[in-house]
Amino acid sequence: MNMSKWNKAWTAGIMACALTMSAAPGLARAGDMSIGALFPMSGPNASYGDIFGSGANLAAEHINADQMLGGKLSIQYEDSQALPQQGVIGMNKLVNVEKVPYVLSAFTGVSKAISTIAGRSKTVAVNGGGVGPDLAELGPYFWNIIPLANYEVRAIIPYLINERKLKNFVLVYVDDPLGQAIRKEMESVLPGAGGKLVEALSVPATAQQFSGIAARVRAANPDVIYVASYGSQQSQIVKQFRDNGIKQQFASYTAFSIPEINALPEAAGSLYTSQNIDWNSQDPVTRRFVDDYRKKYNKMPTAYIANYYNAVRMFGLLAQQLIKKGLPVTGENLLKQRTESASFDLVGGKVSFAANGTVTMPMQINEIDGKGGKVVSTSAR
Amino acid sequence: MLLLQLLINGVQVGALYALIAVGFSLIFGSTRIFHFAHGSTFTIAAYVFYDLLSIAHWHWSLAVLASAAAAVLFGLALNRFVYVPIQKHEGSFFTVFVASFGVGIVVQNLCGMLFGRSFVAVSTPLSRSVEWLPGLYVSPLAGIAIVIALLFFFALQLFLMRTHTGMAMRALSENPELVRAYGLSPRRLSMMVFALGSLLVVPAALLSAAGSGLNPAIGHHVMLISLAATIVGGVGSLRGAACAGLLLGLAENLALAWFEPQWSEAITFIVLFLFILFRPSGFFGRVATS
Repeated sequence: MNMSKWNKAWTAGIMACALTMSAAPGLARAGDMSIGALFPMSGPNASYGDIFGSGANLAAEHINADQMLGGKLSIQYEDSQALPQQGVIGMNKLVNVEKVPYVLSAFTGVSKAISTIAGRSKTVAVNGGGVGPDLAELGPYFWNIIPLANYEVRAIIPYLINERKLKNFVLVYVDDPLGQAIRKEMESVLPGAGGKLVEALSVPATAQQFSGIAARVRAANPDVIYVASYGSQQSQIVKQFRDNGIKQQFASYTAFSIPEINALPEAAGSLYTSQNIDWNSQDPVTRRFVDDYRKKYNKMPTAYIANYYNAVRMFGLLAQQLIKKGLPVTGENLLKQRTESASFDLVGGKVSFAANGTVTMPMQINEIDGKGGKVVSTSAR
Repeated sequence: MLLLQLLINGVQVGALYALIAVGFSLIFGSTRIFHFAHGSTFTIAAYVFYDLLSIAHWHWSLAVLASAAAAVLFGLALNRFVYVPIQKHEGSFFTVFVASFGVGIVVQNLCGMLFGRSFVAVSTPLSRSVEWLPGLYVSPLAGIAIVIALLFFFALQLFLMRTHTGMAMRALSENPELVRAYGLSPRRLSMMVFALGSLLVVPAALLSAAGSGLNPAIGHHVMLISLAATIVGGVGSLRGAACAGLLLGLAENLALAWFEPQWSEAITFIVLFLFILFRPSGFFGRVATS
């Protein structure tokens, strides 16, 4: 066989492979789309990755079942470990290798770290888990589909002071952008609301022993302890504080809405804020989400799960509109389409975005009761 | 009272650190293997105990035995199927370290898949503190940790000083060739060192499962403490590793009386740096001569 015959044979072989691959089910076809997700899938915050992913995957299933995009939508996951450095590595891969136009982000530190890549590459990054207030200032390509911590702190402080008559606060916060932002917010809001921050104790993100810090908290003798941490660490704080004789009220933000805290006996009675979603609402999007989630996972969804469902659903809605207009689904076009759209039908009702790319939603205050939690106030704003 | 409380907390945490560090120090001192997966042994022992006690509802004594067996088996298997083959082919310190590091990552992920990635803890009244004096809270677990640590160190010291196997283990760290010349097998002794070193981490793992709780990534913290205590105590000195573990626990807690809690973990490394700068041979280590 001479060289040209070899070439012909190679060409035929490659074409045959290409044809076989294009015909094979489950492989990429024209019209298929991918979005990215930067979730912690290992390390002490890995449980959040499972929670966030369950909402995102359900939304992708619904989009594919409804054939909203013509082709199949898939989510490329990268493990951020909830660490900024790992997040940047994952974001670079998603943007430069996978070339996705839309990335789901989580955790304040990770979100801040990837926001510059998002802006530079004109890739939309949507945060549904991080709540640091400065996430609202990360540029037009960074959107927040979760109310930020400043809203959460402002919602719970009046409730604790006026309804529960708890005035003296100790803040135990993780030493990262989220924790620092919550401290700043508490320092500015508490005096005006009639409360007092008697002690603010920062802990490293990797700390696991809190018996000594419990001694400091006891010495401060507060009425309420506000925990601004996440993942395994917040569970460790609550358990070790209770084990070390702290009987005061715990309060926190959406991070307390995860199953491991709800199942922790020491966390019973803790109060936390989350966005107000009526799970019994009859609007078709919420109903379908709640029913299918319960069918699939045999439990009720939480606000985090709804956020990432909404983040993926929003991509579906925006991409569908772009396809109808005959425009390519790029980050730039997605941003234009979002600013043109007044509101979106998402889980929880119609949602609109502020000019800074952040949603505003009413808040609710929940109490952990070991049975999935109960809402104790929906009037918080 | 705050200082006394922090002192007691420091002794409790230090007892656990000492137990963790002695196992690592024994393995590193005797075999010169940087057993990064020592943290994984801790994780496996703790999760097996948690699973059998809290999920399968075994009697606590059976759960303890099963946990110890799992830790020892893991240590032995790692030595036999990872370290020995690598040492046979190349034997580089760095290659063994990388392999051990890789095993640590694999175990972390396997534990996440098998036992879940969430925080878990063994629920026991032993972890709940009672007020001994106004403002001074001590849990029964603190007393148990201190007593167990003392018992284990006493038993280990007796074993290493008074038994032939113990003496051979000590000799292994000095001169493996001489051990061979006396008709003993360094490989067999290494297996025993791994079994004993892995067993030593079990009480700390069980007490942590009940006290501070678990997550699959807990092994990294264990490893950091082991490494710092081994260097501060003096490489190869078990007495030094135990004292250093106690010192680190005390320093971490007492620092809270004067510094912000965010500094408490950094204190470990400040102690480490101070020793490296001013006493590189550690508490009881010997000064190396060229």
